[in-house]
Amino acid sequence: MTGVDEAELASRAGRGDADAFGELVEKHQAMARRVAYAILEDREDADDAAQEGFLSAWRAIARYDPSKAFRPWLMQIVVNAARDLRRRRRVRAADPLDSVSAASRDNPAREAGDIDLGERLRAALATLPERQRLAVVLFDAEGYAQAEIAALLGIPEGTVKSDVFHGRRALRRVLSTVKEEWDE
Amino acid sequence: MNEQSPFDSAPDEQLGAALREALPAPFGGAFVNRVQARLRQQRPRSWDEELAGWFWQGLLASSLVAVMAGWGLKAFGRSDEVETAASASVASQLLDGATPGANVLLASMSSADTP
Repeated sequence: MTGVDEAELASRAGRGDADAFGELVEKHQAMARRVAYAILEDREDADDAAQEGFLSAWRAIARYDPSKAFRPWLMQIVVNAARDLRRRRRVRAADPLDSVSAASRDNPAREAGDIDLGERLRAALATLPERQRLAVVLFDAEGYAQAEIAALLGIPEGTVKSDVFHGRRALRRVLSTVKEEWDE
Repeated sequence: MNEQSPFDSAPDEQLGAALREALPAPFGGAFVNRVQARLRQQRPRSWDEELAGWFWQGLLASSLVAVMAGWGLKAFGRSDEVETAASASVASQLLDGATPGANVLLASMSSADTP
């Protein structure tokens, strides 16, 4: 789907066409859920936040400016929804996410043990500060430009570069370790 | 993949693919259905759906209006009848040359007071 198609869909959605918005949901759901996961570190919470993000976007679609890219606009809403959910979870419970992540932070490699690359990467991601996680996921996994990420997170572009660098360093270490194990 | 070039502006394809694999987003179809079900609940209602939503309230209101109108017409009609009957009694007794009784006079006076 081209950017023009996407703008057209967003424009139709802005006029109340729920089917057009449904197509946008279908196109962006995987990315929205991955980005929400990078913040919440829990699949069900991530899905709840992504859903809330899409619903908020639907409510606000009339205010979307079709001359601008739709994807960063949507992702900004999803990031806000995920952060909001995390805040509410922290207030409601004694922060179960932190207790889950704490084990990984102590020693991600040992906790990972013989488990697969995906789990090791998730464990390594959990050791990073949220902003670094988001920066590296948005940049390397989702293909956002550094300027877009800077606008989306409300930080200077130089900070994004630095976050991507530090995030990558931790994750590449995991990748190379696993590769070495596979080569043995 | 070069750790010594911190500010390279190109995404790391290998790391990106591994991250997309590692970050879970399974059952995309089920997720989309779930969101669309919620979207339908939030969709602005069309005019016929809006009218259908007001059906029972409309029926109740029109029934109340009909009952009140019926009651009003009935009450108005009855006072008219009493007045006519009273006037007819006084007139007929005068025409007969008889002096109307006190009961007939009182009845005609009370019906004349009624608005």
